[in-house]
Amino acid sequence: MTDQLDTPVGAAGTPAAPTAPARRRRRRETGHASALSAVPWLIVPLLLIAGVVVYPAIALVQASLSDYSITGLRKGSAGFDNYTSIFQHDDLWTVLANTAVWVVVVVALTILIGLALAQFMAKDFRGRTLMRWAIIIPWAASLVITSRLFTLILDYEHGILNRLLVNLHLLGEPIDFLGDDSWVMPSMIGVGVFVSLPFTAYVLLAGLNAIPGDIVEAARVDGASPWKIYRHITLPLLRPALLVASVLNLIYVFNSFPVIYTLNDRNPGFSHDTSITYSYKLAFKAAERSVGMSAAMGVVNVLLILVVVLIYLRIIRWREVTQA
Amino acid sequence: MNRRTQALTVGLTGLALTLAACGGGTGGGDAEGDSGKVDSIKLVAAEYSDETAGFWQSFAKTYEEKTGIKLEVQVVSWDDIDQQSSTMIQNGNPPDILNLNAYASYAQDDLLYSADDVLSDSVKSDLLPNFVTSGTYEGKLYGMPDLSSARALFYNKKLFEDAGIDAAPTTWDEFAADAKKIADLGDGTAGYAEPLGPEEAQAEFSIWMFNNGGNWKTDGRWTINSAENVETLSFLKKLADDGLTQNNPGKTNRTDGAFADFAAGKAGMVVGFSPLAATLDEAGKVDYGVAPMPTNNGDEPKSYGVTDYLMAFKKDGNADAIKAFYDLYYQPDQVNTFIENEGFLPVTTSGVEKFSSNEDLKVYLDTLTGVQLTPTDDPKWDTVKLAVQQEIGAAVGPDGDPKAVLDDLQEQAESGS
Amino acid sequence: MTLTRRLRPYYLSLIGLAITLVFVSPYAVMLLDALRPSGDVLASPPTFLPREWQWNTFGTVLSDARFLNWLRTSLVVAVSSTAIVLVAAVPAAYFTARFRFPGRTAFLLVVLVTQMFSPTSLVVGLYREFFDLTLVNTYLSIIITNAAFNLAFAIWILQGFFSSIPRDVEEAAHLDGCGRVRTLWHVMLPLTLPGLVTTVIFTFIAAWNEYVVALTLMQDDDKKPLTVGINSYVTGYQQHWDELFAASLIAVVPVVVLFALIEKHLVGGLTAGSVK
Repeated sequence: MTDQLDTPVGAAGTPAAPTAPARRRRRRETGHASALSAVPWLIVPLLLIAGVVVYPAIALVQASLSDYSITGLRKGSAGFDNYTSIFQHDDLWTVLANTAVWVVVVVALTILIGLALAQFMAKDFRGRTLMRWAIIIPWAASLVITSRLFTLILDYEHGILNRLLVNLHLLGEPIDFLGDDSWVMPSMIGVGVFVSLPFTAYVLLAGLNAIPGDIVEAARVDGASPWKIYRHITLPLLRPALLVASVLNLIYVFNSFPVIYTLNDRNPGFSHDTSITYSYKLAFKAAERSVGMSAAMGVVNVLLILVVVLIYLRIIRWREVTQA
Repeated sequence: MNRRTQALTVGLTGLALTLAACGGGTGGGDAEGDSGKVDSIKLVAAEYSDETAGFWQSFAKTYEEKTGIKLEVQVVSWDDIDQQSSTMIQNGNPPDILNLNAYASYAQDDLLYSADDVLSDSVKSDLLPNFVTSGTYEGKLYGMPDLSSARALFYNKKLFEDAGIDAAPTTWDEFAADAKKIADLGDGTAGYAEPLGPEEAQAEFSIWMFNNGGNWKTDGRWTINSAENVETLSFLKKLADDGLTQNNPGKTNRTDGAFADFAAGKAGMVVGFSPLAATLDEAGKVDYGVAPMPTNNGDEPKSYGVTDYLMAFKKDGNADAIKAFYDLYYQPDQVNTFIENEGFLPVTTSGVEKFSSNEDLKVYLDTLTGVQLTPTDDPKWDTVKLAVQQEIGAAVGPDGDPKAVLDDLQEQAESGS
Repeated sequence: MTLTRRLRPYYLSLIGLAITLVFVSPYAVMLLDALRPSGDVLASPPTFLPREWQWNTFGTVLSDARFLNWLRTSLVVAVSSTAIVLVAAVPAAYFTARFRFPGRTAFLLVVLVTQMFSPTSLVVGLYREFFDLTLVNTYLSIIITNAAFNLAFAIWILQGFFSSIPRDVEEAAHLDGCGRVRTLWHVMLPLTLPGLVTTVIFTFIAAWNEYVVALTLMQDDDKKPLTVGINSYVTGYQQHWDELFAASLIAVVPVVVLFALIEKHLVGGLTAGSVK
């Protein structure tokens, strides 16, 4: 599985024109070097990662194996008790189901809409610059504040969206977007897609811009239809960028905290939580008040996302993508 | 490796070492002075408003002038303070003083100084007796009150007039009838704004519970699912079922839900406190009155009170510095300034005297010496409170079962305590 | 045919305008909320335009000394984190793109896995570590943290760009007598500019909006970044929605300015892999 990492990944594909001679491709192959000579090139990232991720991650694992008072005072070792408590928790399966829906739907919608958006952003028209600046705003604004803004917009009583929909006669009655159980998840997904789109669109746009114009032009001269060009030239060359966008989105959406926590803060219990907010609530908002259980869930979360990403890479056959 | 690469190696390694080694920050308040006494202490304070940080900063200046000890202040929002204090304690680095709405679990973990160690007798004797009681765990005072609040019934005078009601209700029957008259005005107006969402559900339920003769604990035993309490929660559910409340009361929080509805003139009544009054006065949109709570059985109305705490953590050599902190904080010009800034109520006898000239506060002050509080002196309450917040909202939903919810809460309270 | 040709830009502009509106509209609501008294923000029924305009909100926020401190922290932290990410990621990305070496796969895997931890679950360990190093409450602590959190993206993106540049380009530079480092600096970096720009924007925004770690590590009020500081405007007991939203909108400006400055490089339509 891991050997799939051996191939370069990035926003810029390797445009292998159908006519490219094999000789040229061989010239691009990577050289060989010793592990020692790699050290100076990799040392800074390694130190940063060791200090900022590895050390706290070890602390997280230690915490998940410990027993804490609700004040945060460590009382002793808990063995695997925190893990068993989590897997026996009544709400775990609800939370995992929510997580699956949230991640799959948000990432899928974000990628699909992002593709269309990037395609459109690459076109030339009046107002394009304005549009590009507008698209950056949800990304530039603090997620915590954007989430708070949407709780106001979506509110049943004082939300402007209900007012708008009712005035336009699209709705007869206002909808309780954040309190009605069947609407909470769709509302959160909507906001989740909205805030994930800018980043995704820009990654895909960078990928589009890296596609040599002459290939597309040549195909057009040969009389290929726009759809054919897109399907057989653009999309294959975009695959590396799509890979980056989808894998990173998988991770970010899975770990997304503010949107869910804020939009769901009026609802008691765990019925609309994903595993990240569940983990936080276990420590501070739920009767468990257990730092140990929360840490155990944190470890489970990392394993979950790792498995999800690896499965995803397997599904899309990473190797083929990156050896375009 | 060629020379260039070597140069780069040296450069990058140098950078890495710089990153790893340049220090110069300040840690907690554990710096030891010459005599085994600390020369700085740390306060972690909850943020009541945007005035909070300013007050503590000037307090720190005064404190340092008086004692020569530095007071480091960290102001944290209520949303994050549990997480922040937990992080510090997990790492064996608690602050010297923590301002929070709970203390009993910390006392139980033997982390705190009791008043015997750090509070002057003159200060202790000035504290209001019911707050001393709520701050006392196993016979010793650990939770020193920083400020208090008391709840009362806020009503919208204009809506009362439109609905033809001439006085605030005094019984639950009157209350329900008045709520109906207001809801019948239509236009989405709620008779009563009922916040049973997770933010502060225990407060909303408490005040109704107290005014039906119920309580969380009676004679030292949990009585969450007593007959009175089931009746109370069923009453709150019936208000919702009859359409007398705002939409979805089990999923309405206090601050941006019930209070917002009342401030918008969309609710006839709400249980409020002095910070709500300040907000309403600032906006100047709603003509409101404040009245004692209605009761179910014709008893004397009860007020529900809340106090937050300033607790002190045991560390080597910090006892004198903490004592000096409390001495300064409870000086009338400090504690009352803080309380006035934040729009709350006093915690000392001298404070009550000082505030009694304020007409707006009269309705609360009259009840302050007799307020009932939640059982904050029981560490178990710290988790029961969370269970209440996460569960009670479901009881007033369309398929809610008040008795089942209260039975479940009772069971959780009794387990392992 | 010619008619549609001439009409096309106009269609496109219309669609572009619609997309612009979709992305701007929530923030237009935010702006209108900043320009009305806080008590009106939660008014019911809501109105699109303020019932009474309150023009001085932005002035109030900009003259708030606390706000200016938070703004300064955010700028220092975001700029420094971005610089460190570039310094750390460029050599690593270049080397892994160009060479096979023992441990390369492990390195890339580790980089990817580091992205999978949510900051919320790492924050306790980070606090312990920085406390032991007496770095709590220093800019350096959150600069280092933000840099590390964003390395993976940078290495991934840049590595893709580097590996798409044919070796011929580099060999040509070598023949001209450049060393490896100079080749990287003079030949490769200009060719990977879109990747660098993407990295800069991405890292800057991530550092600019980081919340949990800054909340835990920055304890003095005047050292808090904007994301943490502005929450003071709306607390459980007192709501100044107008100021919160005005402050949030001001906080968006530096990011959009940075973006506007470097956007053309992102969109330069660089033809990766062309050998001139």
